[in-house]
This record gives sequence, C-alpha cells and structure tokens, in this order.
Amino acid sequence: MSTTTTEPGTATVARPPAVRPSRWPAWLTNPWGRPRFLALTTWVYIAWALLPVLAAILFSFNDGRSRSVWQGFSTRWWWGDPDLSVFHNPTYTDALSQSLELAVLAMLIATPLGFLLAIGLSRWRGRGSGSANFLMLVPLTTPELAMAVALFLVFTQLSVLPFTAVHLGTTAQVIGQVTFSVSYVVIIVRSRLAQIGPEYEEAARDLGASTRQSLQHVLLPMLWPAVLASALIVFALSIDDFVVTQYMSSGGETTTVPMLLYANARGGATTPALNAVATIMVVVTLIGVGLAYLVLRWFGRHSGDQQKQSGAMADLTGIE
Amino acid sequence: MAERSLWRGLAIPGVVWLLLFVVVPAYAVVAVAFGKIDTLLQPVPVWNPLDWNVGFVKEAFAGVVPGGTYWSATRNTLLYVGATVALCFAIGYPVAYYVARLSGRTKGLLLLLIFLPFWVSYLMRMLAWIGLLAPNGYVNEVLGWFGVGHTDWLDGNPFSVIAALTYGYIPYFILPVYAGLDRIDMRLMEAARDLGASRVRTFLRVTLPLSWPSILAGTVLIVLPMFGDYYTNDLISGSPNTNMLGNSVNLLVQGGSQKNLGAAMVLVLMTILAVGMLYYLWETNRQAKRARA
Amino acid sequence: MATAIAMGGGGALELHELEKRFADVTAVDSISLEVAAGEFFSLLGPSGCGKTTTLRMVAGFERPTKGEILLDGTSLATVPPDRRNVNTVFQSYALFPHLNVLDNVAFGMRYQKVPRKERERRAKDALELVELGALAKRRPHQLSGGQQQRVALARALVLRPSVLLLDEPLGALDAKIRRQLRLELKSLQEEVGTTFVFVTHDQEEALSMSDRIAVMNGGRVDQVGTPLEVYESPATLFVADFLGVANVMRAEAISSNGSGCTVRVGEFELRAGCGELGCRGAASVVIRPERLEVVPLAERPGENCLPGMVDRTVFVGSNLQVMVRLVTGEVVQASIPNHGEGLEFHEQGKPVAVHAPAEALRVLAGSANSG
Repeated sequence: MSTTTTEPGTATVARPPAVRPSRWPAWLTNPWGRPRFLALTTWVYIAWALLPVLAAILFSFNDGRSRSVWQGFSTRWWWGDPDLSVFHNPTYTDALSQSLELAVLAMLIATPLGFLLAIGLSRWRGRGSGSANFLMLVPLTTPELAMAVALFLVFTQLSVLPFTAVHLGTTAQVIGQVTFSVSYVVIIVRSRLAQIGPEYEEAARDLGASTRQSLQHVLLPMLWPAVLASALIVFALSIDDFVVTQYMSSGGETTTVPMLLYANARGGATTPALNAVATIMVVVTLIGVGLAYLVLRWFGRHSGDQQKQSGAMADLTGIE
Repeated sequence: MAERSLWRGLAIPGVVWLLLFVVVPAYAVVAVAFGKIDTLLQPVPVWNPLDWNVGFVKEAFAGVVPGGTYWSATRNTLLYVGATVALCFAIGYPVAYYVARLSGRTKGLLLLLIFLPFWVSYLMRMLAWIGLLAPNGYVNEVLGWFGVGHTDWLDGNPFSVIAALTYGYIPYFILPVYAGLDRIDMRLMEAARDLGASRVRTFLRVTLPLSWPSILAGTVLIVLPMFGDYYTNDLISGSPNTNMLGNSVNLLVQGGSQKNLGAAMVLVLMTILAVGMLYYLWETNRQAKRARA
Repeated sequence: MATAIAMGGGGALELHELEKRFADVTAVDSISLEVAAGEFFSLLGPSGCGKTTTLRMVAGFERPTKGEILLDGTSLATVPPDRRNVNTVFQSYALFPHLNVLDNVAFGMRYQKVPRKERERRAKDALELVELGALAKRRPHQLSGGQQQRVALARALVLRPSVLLLDEPLGALDAKIRRQLRLELKSLQEEVGTTFVFVTHDQEEALSMSDRIAVMNGGRVDQVGTPLEVYESPATLFVADFLGVANVMRAEAISSNGSGCTVRVGEFELRAGCGELGCRGAASVVIRPERLEVVPLAERPGENCLPGMVDRTVFVGSNLQVMVRLVTGEVVQASIPNHGEGLEFHEQGKPVAVHAPAEALRVLAGSANSG
C-alpha cells in the first residue's frame, strides 16, 4: 500500500510503502541472524587443514612401526630406540643440522641483501629502475622447478667464473635459497616503507639531517619490525624448501629434512621417526614465527603503531 | 644529485646477485635447450643464437601436443590444475569471506588458525596424508563405516593427487582473497543494502566484482607453482599415469642423459605460463606504481 | 617575558618569478613575493592553488622549474633542505614515533653539532615555551592532536630558523581547539620574532593571524596585502569572493568623475565609490553583506537603492542573514546584527529596498559568471 503526500506548491507524489515485502521467510533474511552455514564451512575447513598434521605429529609417538595405525603411546622414535630414533640416527640428525645451517645462512645473507634492494628500489627514479623491479619479481612468479633446473645447469655445465667456483653442495644450496628469498624480503620491506610514507624522512631532512642520516636515524628504526619479519620468513622458507635444495644438493651430507621426507615418505621400512623429525621442523618454525609475532606486537604497542590487531600478522605474511 | 646514486648504490648488490643467479641461469637454460649433446651424452650449451640447434626444442614442443610423448603429462597437468583451482575457489572463497567479514570476535583466532598451515612444511603435510591414505590408514577405515570398500588411494589415483594439490595450495589461495575481501569498505555494502539490494544481490553485484582482482591474484599464485610441481605426484601417487609436466622435466634433467630435452621442456613450460606470468607482473607493477604515487 | 629562543635577526624571504611545472600541470605560475623579516605572512587559497607547492619549494623538497628563492639575500637554489635555515611544521606533524617528545624536539640539534647537555636544556625550554614541559617523556601517539602540533612547533623553533613554514597546521583539529591555537600561534610568533609563512585555505585563520596575506588562485598570486586591505579592497573578483561573502552583481560601467564611477545595474544607475573607477563596459560591482542596509520600501533614502523582496531570512546566532531578491533578478545577502527583533521584522515576501552606500560599493572590471 503506498502513501501519498502533498507539499505546498507541488503535485501529489506516490511513495513506496514503508516496508517492502520479501518473498523469503523472516528467519532467513533476518539481518541480525548468524551466518551459520559459512561458519560451519570455515570450521570444517580448519579441521581438515590441521587435523592431518596433528595426526602425523601424534603418530611420531606411536608405539609400533606403523605410520598409519595407532598402536599406543611411546617415545621410542624420539630418543628411546638406540638405533632408529631421531636423536640416535645420524641420517636424521645430519639432515636436521644441515637444514638449520642452510636456514641460518640464507637468513643472514638474504635479509640484508633484500633490505638494501628494497630501499634502493623504492627510491630509485632513474634509468633501469623498472627493469630492476621486474628482475626482482621474476623469482616470485617462476615455478621453483624452472629456477632449480636453471641453477643446476649453470653450476654443472657452465665453465665461466664465478660459477665454476661453485659445485653442487651447501654453497649452491645457499645461493639457490637466497635467490628466491630476496624477493620476499623486498616485498615485505617495501610494503612497510609504503605504509610509513615519505614524510618522516622529509621532516628529518628539514631538521638538518642529510639523506644518509635521515635513513639511519629515522627510517631504519621505523623499519626494523619489517626486517625482523622478513628475516623470519626467509628462515621458514629455507627450512621448508625442497625443490631448489634438492637440485643443488650433492647427496649425503647435504641432505635436508624435506629431502629426507621426500625420499622416505612412501617407504615401507620407514618408521615414525620420520614423523618425529618432521615434527621438529614444524616446531622450530612455529617457535620462530611465534617469537617474531610477539616481538612485533610488543613493539607495535610500545610505539603506538596504527595497525589493527592483525598488523603483526600482516607483516609476517606480507599482506599490505 | 648525489642522492640518486645513493639509492642506486644501495640496490646494486641485490641487482648484481639477481643478474648472476637469475638472468644468467635463465639464459643457460635457453643455451642448453638450443644446444648440442656430446659423446659422453652431456649437454653442450650453445651461447650464440646464430648457432642454435632447434632439434631438442622442436622435440619438446612436439611432445606436449596431443599424440606426443608428453601429451598425457600435459593433459594431466591442465586437468589437475583446473580441478584444483575450482576446488580452492569453492572451499577457499567462503572461508575467506567468513573470516574477513563475518567472524566478529573470533576473527583473531580464526586468522591464526588459517595462517597456521603456512608454517607447516608442504612435505610434512603430504606426509600426513600418506599416513592417512595408506591401505590400512584411517581414511579407508572411516569410509568403511559407510560401507565403501577399501580403495588404494596412493597408487596412481588422480583424485588423490587433486585432493593433495588442493590441500597443499589452498592456503596460498585463501591469503590474497582474504586480504582483498578484508579491504572492501563495509560502507559500500551498506550503501547497496540501503538502496534496496538483498544480501545475495549485494554479494553478486558489489562484493564479488570488488573481490575479483584478489581472486585472480590467488589463482595466479597457485597456478604458477603448480605447473612445476612434481613432488606431490611422486609422494601421493607412485604411478607414472598421473605424471604432470613437472615430473617430465624432473625425470629428464635429474634422470641423467637428457638434459637438453629437459631444458627444452622447461622452455615449453615457461611458454605455457608466459601469459599468466606477464599478467601477474604487469598487475603487481601497476599496484606498486599506484602505491608509490 | 624573556624568550627562550633569541633570534639572530634576519629571515627576509624573497621569491622571484618562481615557477613549478609537473608533467602537464603548472602548479606555481611565476610568483614573486617579498616577506619581511619577523612577519606573519599567510599564503591563502583553495586546494590546488599552488600554496603548498610553493612552501615545499622554500623548504627544499621541490625543485623550482624556474625562478629564484632568496633568504636574506642568499640564493637557495642549490642548497639541500638539511642545509637551509628553514624549518617546517608539517600538516600531519610527522613526529617520529620511535622517539619520545623530548628526543623529537632535540632531534635537529644533533646535526647542528650542539653538545648533548645543551641539547636537552634547549629542548626542555622549547617545550616550556609551548606549555608541554610535563609531557617530555611521552610518546607521540599518547598525545592529543593539539599537543602533537605544539611538539612539532617546538621541534622546529628550537633550531632557531630564519623562517618557519607552517603547512595547514591547524587543519586536523576541532573547531574550538583551532580557534584557541590561532591566538596562541600568533602570540608565540610575536614573542619569538621569527618569520612565519603560514599556508591555509581557511580565510578566517588567515585574516585573524596574519600581518600580510597573499591570496593565491590557480598558481598565481591575485593580491598581497594586510587583512584589512584584502578584505575591504579586493583587487579581483576571486579575492572578493574568497574572503568572506561577497555580493557580486553584473553591471556596466558608464562613466566616472571625481566622486566615483557610474554603473548601470539593470535599469538602475548606481555610484561606485571604490575599485577600478576608470574601467568601462562589462564589469561587476561587489559589496560586503555587512555594508548593505535593508529598509522598508517606503523609506528608501535615494541614491544607490535597489527595490526588491525578502526571499528568506536565516538566523545564525550573532546576526541575521537576509536574502533579498532584487527587481533586477539577482539575489543579494545582507548581514544584520541580531538586536533581538526576531525574524518577523524581515519576513518572507516583504517588499524592501536595499541600500548600497557608494563608499562601500566596489567596481571591478570583467563580469562575474554568476550572482
């Protein structure tokens, strides 16, 4: 039912009714109702995503040799068994130490390299800046296999310095990992730089600081959360990396945990010790990420960063 | 001014590194693909384009078309990637939507849980499924309750591979989609509702179009690496039936004496991906420019 | 009161035909200005008129395409921003979040090689000057907008600049705090004696604080003068319209003699006593609302009277705004102080006459686009 209204000096106007009828029942269109279906989907997804991993971790404490049937609780695969448990099996401990070594090296090299590149790229206005930017994006958009093959060929077939100095092995592995990690560092640092904006540096210059001094005394202190976050990303990427690491390896001592997992996951003779070593990796990564998150949160609160609660999370996953 | 060279100077180490370890290796692939093979069956790279030998590249391209040696791998790849993207969208979009817009107080917790798989190694996650999909594993057991007979999930089963790919890559899809949905100004949706659009209509005509760039970003983000994936297949399916292009490349290069062909296959792979890559690069560059302005 | 900051004199700024072009846009189009030492000088104009770009060129963040900037006679052309004795208070304050208030204020002195003890002392004094001494150890995010602005001020002033540039510093604050800070800024400037160059789009701000104002429009300076000059004697139509409300009517300038210029508005002939008295042909006449008198039609006093009808009366507290639709078709606004008569005295539809005293009626060449 529509109502009409009159105003002095105007013709009568028909208006729509106060409340438009709907063809759906009230409980379905209730604006304050809870989105039940979507919530369910989300929680089911989370369960699907996480429970298998938890199961795998649980199986590392399996009493028997099976990785698929639960046979009781035991720590034999962790330290109990004198030959096959993780901490007594040199294959596993070597792999763990190689993984950690690579991760630390990659972190120490990729972070400063990427950080400088990020700052340079963000301010570079001259010729070549576009190509340099493009170059930085290539590792991110190339399948790892292509990069691995490319590096493999270069280190084995190329008789030109400096490539001949590098043989397959730890050095090659580090080089490969750093190469794709640098781009992540650049993206994270640049995103933070964009958030900060140019005005603090301008203020510093205005107050008498030279370009270098404003970089050192103002920009760097404001950027270190991003640096920390990107260092951790490099660490995590490196620990979990498989393709490049495998292609660059020379077998034996250069085996990392992911390579170990790949080689043994389908084996019938493999024990839950494999699950145990995988669990260690997961725990190490999570501890690192957790620490970084806490530090970022504390720092953010202390200096009143205008970021949402997920701000630190955003830093860590590179969302702008 | 001295300033310019300061910024350029800072960027130089990184650029040099990238030149050495990205550009040169890329050309090495080309040189080997167009190269020759010596008596010891080792590849000889040919650096001068004028001396290129197109034999291997021709063989590679011929191999990936219907009827070629690698056609089944190509077909598998296209099918699996397509199916995985569809699944990732079907599962991932609603999850991203719920977390971004509707989760209220639980948002922080949900974000934590959604981001958790990022920090779990891909291989660990595959390992987990190998345990569950084993013939005597719990998947078969649960299915047994519903009367479904024991299936051999780990022996050349394409559904397992697709499921594993989805499982492995879906977090990388959800992330950009979540970011895009989170960014949409709520007031736009309020305006649509205010003007008379129902919830469904608002979603179809406002939210979905606005989140389209992020859906695209998420798709590109998972498709690109998936084309080079060989380990998922190796882990979840022991059979060459389900081989993908990545497997072909891997076998040729690490197998030993076919590195030229392997390099040529890499070129084929990159050509197929060229469109997607160029689009992604262009789009990211455009956004970076907008952010800089 | 002894000032915490003793000025070394100087601070005279000269801009000679300053120009700044971006790609296809000329933001600043050949501006020449002279700012005397110790003056409170405002750049006033709408957004996009080039005032901020001009300021940034003086600060050193934009490089002029043409022209010169002289500070006390020295050209600043090749001097980077960190070497100019010019400091800026940014619109967003740009206080360093990783330093507390005291360290923020003391920041610049480090580069002037001031020893640490003296740095702290001077920083503390500067904070006292802006009445924020108690907040020295706080972080910027813990301060209100007005407090942050004062810290930014102290940070810049402590360096004893020859010229202080302020880029719409009051823009982000509530109306009440803004009004209060206007007075404080003005008295601060008088106390300290530094040349202030103040950029704003708020004409009330510029009028209330400045010694002189440059009104800018589209990259050019339309007029430079004291607040009284630019308000009472606007040189162009833009200035007349930008500062306060202006009643602008289309007119035709016919002749002039010793007592003014005769203009025709509609079928009426009026005498304009100021402005471009020598102009002829298409012109505009401008008069401020507060100078218009509204009288009942029967009482019209003769010269410069235009009959009309009250269109609407708006009550704004301290005065009444009476809109009168003249027989010539234009609507003018008269501002009448509120003497408590109520709205009925100027009720809608009442026939009245509007008297524009000749000495307040200004003729300007060129016609306006609208009334």
